[in-house]
Amino acid sequence: MTALLRANLPVLVVIAPLFIAFILTPLARRIRLVETLAFLATVLGLGAAGHLATVVFARRGSPFIYQLGGWPPPWGIELVAGNLGVIFALVVTGVSVPVVLFARGNLTAEVGDTGRVTRFYVLYLLLVGALAGMAVTNDLFNIYVLVEVVTLSCCGLVSARRHPRAAEAAFTYLILATLGSAFVLGGIGLIYMLTGHLNMGFAGQELGRVWPDYPHTVLLAVSFVIIGFGVKAAVFPLHVWLPDAHATAPSPASAILSGLAVKGYLLCLLKFLYGVFGGVLLRELAVHRILTLLGVAGIIAGSLLALTQEELKRRLAYSTVAQVGYLVLGGGLLNATGLTGALFYLASHAVIKATLFLAAGAIQAATGKSRIRELAGVGRKMPLTMAAFTIGSCGLIGLPLFFGFIGKWYLLVGSLEAGMILPVVAILAGSVLCAAYLLPVIRTAYFRPAPAVAWRDPGRPQKLALLLLATAVVVLGVRPGPFLELARKAAAELMAFV
Amino acid sequence: MLALVLALSSGAVGGLLVAVLPAARSRLRNLVVLFFTVGGILGSWQVARLVWAGERLRLAGQLGGLSFSLEPDPLGVIFGLIASTLWLFTVVYSFGYMAGKAHQRPYYSFLLLAFSVTLGVAFSGNLVALYLFYELLTLTTYPLVIQERSEEALRAGTKYLLYNLAGAAVLLLAIVLTAVWGGRLDFAGGPILAGGFKIGLNWLLFLFTVGFGVKAALMPLHRWLPAAMVAPTPVSALLHAVAVVYAGVYGLLRVVYSVFGTGLLAELGVGALLPWVAAGTILAGIIVALRQDELKRRLAYQTISHLSYILLGAITLHPWGLAGAVLQMIGYAVLKTAFFFCVGLIAEQTGVTRVSRMGGVGRVLPKTMAAFAVTTMGMIGMLPLGTFWGKYYLLQGSVAGGKWPLAVVLVVSGFLNAVCFIPVVVKAFRAERTPSPAPEEGGVRVALMLAPTLLLVVIGLGMGLFPGLVWPGVQAVVDWFF
Repeated sequence: MTALLRANLPVLVVIAPLFIAFILTPLARRIRLVETLAFLATVLGLGAAGHLATVVFARRGSPFIYQLGGWPPPWGIELVAGNLGVIFALVVTGVSVPVVLFARGNLTAEVGDTGRVTRFYVLYLLLVGALAGMAVTNDLFNIYVLVEVVTLSCCGLVSARRHPRAAEAAFTYLILATLGSAFVLGGIGLIYMLTGHLNMGFAGQELGRVWPDYPHTVLLAVSFVIIGFGVKAAVFPLHVWLPDAHATAPSPASAILSGLAVKGYLLCLLKFLYGVFGGVLLRELAVHRILTLLGVAGIIAGSLLALTQEELKRRLAYSTVAQVGYLVLGGGLLNATGLTGALFYLASHAVIKATLFLAAGAIQAATGKSRIRELAGVGRKMPLTMAAFTIGSCGLIGLPLFFGFIGKWYLLVGSLEAGMILPVVAILAGSVLCAAYLLPVIRTAYFRPAPAVAWRDPGRPQKLALLLLATAVVVLGVRPGPFLELARKAAAELMAFV
Repeated sequence: MLALVLALSSGAVGGLLVAVLPAARSRLRNLVVLFFTVGGILGSWQVARLVWAGERLRLAGQLGGLSFSLEPDPLGVIFGLIASTLWLFTVVYSFGYMAGKAHQRPYYSFLLLAFSVTLGVAFSGNLVALYLFYELLTLTTYPLVIQERSEEALRAGTKYLLYNLAGAAVLLLAIVLTAVWGGRLDFAGGPILAGGFKIGLNWLLFLFTVGFGVKAALMPLHRWLPAAMVAPTPVSALLHAVAVVYAGVYGLLRVVYSVFGTGLLAELGVGALLPWVAAGTILAGIIVALRQDELKRRLAYQTISHLSYILLGAITLHPWGLAGAVLQMIGYAVLKTAFFFCVGLIAEQTGVTRVSRMGGVGRVLPKTMAAFAVTTMGMIGMLPLGTFWGKYYLLQGSVAGGKWPLAVVLVVSGFLNAVCFIPVVVKAFRAERTPSPAPEEGGVRVALMLAPTLLLVVIGLGMGLFPGLVWPGVQAVVDWFF
């Protein structure tokens, strides 16, 4: 039995949430059971990812290759669990556990009756499973399928609240994300046309040989891929859908959308750019410069836009646009240090943004207020929630000894190694701007006089979820060692293509 | 090692303890505050004794993916001793000043936390630790700046945060560059940078100067300091005349002596420019101070001016200049704190906060005004006060370092200090009118404020009459770097 599990580990990480998602629907009347099953599914996913990590670690760098249905490539679909896959699978499953815990017994107010709540969990698990799939898949068309699953479940999650604004945001998201999918599909089609392969390894090799003969087609494919994933990952200036979608979704959904979904697309983008197109081509087409510029623009514009928002969740949503900029920038540096920083930052931002969104959701649920200046006194009335928010903010600002700082450090060193000064300025300005848009929230919550109302910290599962995430921000900040090592190895895997 | 841990942790432990104590138990809270402040002092004295005896104290470890180290050296020890000694005086003064005021619990809690953080700055052994504590110092002192919670205070607080966090961001870049070029970040073992690409090094020095210059209130990065004067007077006295601003100055001394080293710095164009930035700040600061009517703002601009004395001494790159800088650091800290304490006493007892309303204050508050007069002489740098010796060595250092115009700047600045404050003293003692309500210098509350003030004045006088008392510490610093 264990041998069987072990042999099928990469696919289990994906299958566990996906499979359980489908058995939830008929159980809609027994909402407790649904919640417990959803929780168990994420825990199972985390367990499988953790086990996968130890297995991959024991293999000392050679990735765990799994052929779906026993069909070898180029015919079958191949899953490759290397360090890159492991780090992302860990992040996805690790963040999904506290988020689902936070949702427990807490959704009816935001979402509606038990049927809708069940639907929320189904979509949630589909999303988690598909994201885990993105971590391990090595097949172009498989990526496209997963991208569609993620997109549609995200769309469902955004519209989960019964609110006209939610419907509008979901519709906008649907249109733009479908456009993005079309671009991605176009890109994949062009690559297939040029190479005749859908396996990323084979396609990459073949593309390296044939691209001088079809430079324009390759250029088109690269632009399609960048635009397609750019829309979905909210890379500035293609971010327009994100603030509405992430601000109107129910809080657990916002946490998972901002923390994980966006990262999944970025991961796919990195896999395409490094694994399929390869470093030579990227340099030749100056794609890395474009990425760097997009990143810089995203950091600055996203932060400035966040600064002008009065609603807490919208501010956090724009902050995601800025943080995506860091990752894109790191991906464009084309050196191991910058890539390590980007991958580490991806993980830390996932945890931090989930913390912030969940805390913001708890505050909004308890106070009924969404504007920042109405939050006076929250710090004293909801000490645990606000403490989690403060810890998350410290992490996002990039204070030393919080999760996130060392990622920024590596990004800075990477930019200097690449000899570029613009990213350095953007990274530092981004930190200061981040302080400028998050510290006022904390100031209002703690130092403005509190009104005489009875606001309270949320229930026990919610508190536990916040506590778990905030602890992770601190612990992984003080002891990032193993995680940093994993990020470094994952970056080395990508750099092998450069 | 134990002493180092005691010095660093007592403030943090005390601060957290105060935060959880019931807000109403003010007597118990005061005892806790006093206990942990004394703990910090004992720790830092022990650290100082061990360092002077030549022992190597080192706490280092991999934290957050980078190596942190705490390793006090003679310069750090001097800063630590100044901070911890003055902390005790300020705490006692606060017992009087804060009595009956709102938000006492966060006040004492953050005051103690800032104590730990300041000692962390003083004892840090590499740039990473220094950066961490430098950043934390901003965050732990922010609640003290907005202690009043008024709109004006909150606005000033925002300015405080933005200036200091932006400075820290620039500092981070400088540190990353140092790591990339120098290959290490530890202070021990001589200057980090040994030479190399000149244009790059000039930029690096510029970045460091901006990064630390914000807290050191180098003009034009000084604007947060006058704004921060909305804080309660003990905070202005301790943090915004000594601890926080000294963290910036201390950082710059580190940059000069531990990052670049005197040899390399002398070859850099920006290095040659720095003394003139300092000189400009000295003169501009005191000239702007002349035009301030509000006493605390006048003192704040004078702080800006005097901080650059220290900096100027350090970048003469001459042993005498460094000795002068260290002496100035000690003497000025003592007297400026006393000066602010006097201003607080006057404001609390008579409500006078402006120079234009000082008339007659000397008649009603003779002891306070006497202390005020003595500290004024200290600001000018006259004998028999401690600041004289600092200035003396600064003059010697600038002449010996081949920069005699700096000596002229110092002399002119002394004169301007006299112009700035002697009229205030004269005005206070001339009986134009009696400020109402007529106060009296009595009661426990006033005694708690007056005692530390007078004691500091006595210490300042003692340092002037017996400079040999502090000289070994100064000598140790000079021997360490030259």
